[in-house]
Amino acid sequence: MRMAREVVLFESLFKSNKWTWLFGWLFHVGLLLVLIRHARYFWPGDLPEIFLLVQPFKYAAFAMVIGLIGLMGRRIAVERIRYISAPSDYLMLILMLVIGISGAVMTFTSNHTDVIMVKQFASGLLTFDWANLPTEVHFLVHIFMVFVLMAIFPISKLLHVPGVFFSPTRNQVDDARKKRHISPWALRQEKEQEVRLNETLGKDE
Amino acid sequence: MAEICGAEVDEEGFLVDLSDWNKEIAVEMAKGDDIELSEEHWDVINFLRDYFEEYQIAPAVRVLTKAIGKQFGKEKGNSKYLYSLFPYGPGKQGCRFAGLPKPTGCI
Amino acid sequence: MADDFEVPKLPTYLEIPKMNEGVMAGDGPFKSVEEFQTPLGFPGAKVDNWQEVAINKMGELKSKYRSVQVFLDACVKCGACTDKCHYFLGSSDPKNMPVARQDLFRSVYRRHFTFAGKYFPKLVGAKELDDAMLDDWYNYFHQCSQCRRCSVFCPYGIDTAEISMAAREVLDAVGIGQKYCNQILGKAITIGNNLGLPEPALRDTLLDLEEEIEEETGVAVKYPLDQKGAEILLITPSADFFAEPHIDGLIGYGKVFHQDGVSWTMSSYASEGANFGMFIGSYDIMRKAALRIRKAALDLEVSRVMVGECGHAWRVAYSFWNTLSGVGAGADISDEHAMKLQNQLDSRYPQPQHIIEYTHDLIQRNKLKFDKSANDDRTVTFHDSCNVARATNMGGIPNGQFILPREVIKAVCNNYVDMERSTIMESTFCCGGGGGLLTDDLMEIRIKGAMPRMQALKEVEKTDAVDTLVAICAICKSQFSKVLPKFDFDPYMIVSAHQLVSEAIIMDKPQTDDSEAEMPIEETITETVE
Repeated sequence: MRMAREVVLFESLFKSNKWTWLFGWLFHVGLLLVLIRHARYFWPGDLPEIFLLVQPFKYAAFAMVIGLIGLMGRRIAVERIRYISAPSDYLMLILMLVIGISGAVMTFTSNHTDVIMVKQFASGLLTFDWANLPTEVHFLVHIFMVFVLMAIFPISKLLHVPGVFFSPTRNQVDDARKKRHISPWALRQEKEQEVRLNETLGKDE
Repeated sequence: MAEICGAEVDEEGFLVDLSDWNKEIAVEMAKGDDIELSEEHWDVINFLRDYFEEYQIAPAVRVLTKAIGKQFGKEKGNSKYLYSLFPYGPGKQGCRFAGLPKPTGCI
Repeated sequence: MADDFEVPKLPTYLEIPKMNEGVMAGDGPFKSVEEFQTPLGFPGAKVDNWQEVAINKMGELKSKYRSVQVFLDACVKCGACTDKCHYFLGSSDPKNMPVARQDLFRSVYRRHFTFAGKYFPKLVGAKELDDAMLDDWYNYFHQCSQCRRCSVFCPYGIDTAEISMAAREVLDAVGIGQKYCNQILGKAITIGNNLGLPEPALRDTLLDLEEEIEEETGVAVKYPLDQKGAEILLITPSADFFAEPHIDGLIGYGKVFHQDGVSWTMSSYASEGANFGMFIGSYDIMRKAALRIRKAALDLEVSRVMVGECGHAWRVAYSFWNTLSGVGAGADISDEHAMKLQNQLDSRYPQPQHIIEYTHDLIQRNKLKFDKSANDDRTVTFHDSCNVARATNMGGIPNGQFILPREVIKAVCNNYVDMERSTIMESTFCCGGGGGLLTDDLMEIRIKGAMPRMQALKEVEKTDAVDTLVAICAICKSQFSKVLPKFDFDPYMIVSAHQLVSEAIIMDKPQTDDSEAEMPIEETITETVE
């Protein structure tokens, strides 16, 4: 429960800073909705009707971009956050912004990309079948940046996505008095020292 | 390391070798804190030293105040009186002058 | 004892200060010497190949403790924690912002243990562990009281306490220890308490106490030591024997035990509740200290283990004793080490139990009688001690660690007020002296770090005329009695929860003739908890 509130609502962040929470949450929710909508590029064959429901999620792109701009603004404007930022922190925001904006440009301007072609390409990827791609610049930028993002995912701070589920201060159960938790290395150590301990029990008083 | 009257003291001003202690050292230490040792100071210092000799540790504040009160009059058996003698605390400052080790812990 | 700094002024509202880089730069607290290092198994002085040793140690900690690795990896530098640390709020040094403090350690971790940091150190802020960095570690990881307030506000629950424990462990491994903690630990694991109080002195002190209580109340309250076969073993911080105002709390425990009529004892072998092993991050030393309590419990054949008013002691007891020494319940049948003790302990009671839980339970069962008016001269507020508030529970109910102490206090006094909501309970501000910082050579950071708590206290002093501050932690009590006067408070306003209990409790007088009262015994008022 604690974990669910944390992942869905960013409860701790809400407690600590309303602005960071607002922008951060906007961005993440926007991203999630946009990603769901992207499923249609990977769906094999005709789209089931449920996809009509997710169609309006395209507006989530604005939430995502607004969130990102807000986060960037804070990182630059607030002295304390500027102090703790490394170049990669800015680059990551820029990367996400480029992806978000280039995507939005495709959807909301007249520069529509041939989505059927994209779909063929994307579906092809799933089966290692390399199809042709549209060649509009903003599309190429969009997809290239997404590839970059996927490439750096495992070696960057994007690891916070799985990380949050492993955080001991959020996922541990409060039962230390009722249950003995002991890690393998500590148990090994305990066994090794047991003999010596028994020898001293009750002796030096 | 600093020295007082030729005896080594640590960074907090306590004697490194407790057996170095003599009255001059106490007087000298007190001077460093702008205190001139009076008869009342010596009463406390002597009690601290006696207690330490018996128990190898400084007395608890409560034990000290009670003992001082018993020996030298009830009006002296409180920590306000002891603080008036040793503004940095009878435990810490008093022990230092008396050549006792610094009390440690959550105190 | 540097006096050349300004005591912060108390603002009307707590503001986030403008950063002042380097205001708290320095050499840190006094360093430990060989005499104190060797008994703990640490090198006596900085080793020659310290960089290698340090990096290896970091690798070991990363693989041993999931917390360390997750906390180092998961931070996204969102900045939510930056204004949450009392030491930053009080000192304005940016390296006292939790994330910046962690980054001292994290930047080295990135350099040596992550792909990006190995190949693009500049890009991700990865740094080499050089002399300057090591000095910064020593200085700034001894400006963290491991109070965990930052972790409450972190979206990933990153706990700076864990990082500062890890950093101190690495420092000890290369031979750089803190004098205060390591000297104390040496005494704790050889003599049995942080003071180095030997058995005869302890016995004498307790006798003195019995005498005092009998003089004052006419009741022979006993303070048994090493009494085999007693029901309860009380483990309390040794400051309770030694310091003011702690000892009045100890008087309170004794009176409660006396009224309940239970048999109890303390142990001269394990005469310490505090466990500084946690502060320096060492599992082994923390375990050594905890095993003394195990041994005392086995030797004295007690069926319950109870903990006195001490913040981090309760964290160690509540969260770690079961693991460290088997004091607890629920061990596997095949777990001989733990079962040996757990079979002896009475499973009808929580093991270990906090003295507040015990007193609270007696109050609820109407076993204790109080004259609340004895505390009518006070208006009381309660300081949630960090380790109790954010790392433990009481009573087995959600938020019990906040509810129970308040209910005990309200049961014994009429005037109670809480401080500002954002400064208590899980958001409580540390007293400023926890985590191994309660030493005179750190007085500057202790005073500055106390500012947020003092500010909240000043508010209730103004609005509700609060004149008594209650804490259930030996460190808080000592720290407050030192820093209160710096902020124009009465140093004697800090008291133990059980001091209030002690003042209000109505003791059954022995049935002898001379109890034919000079003072008529008032009608006993039985108070129930709201």
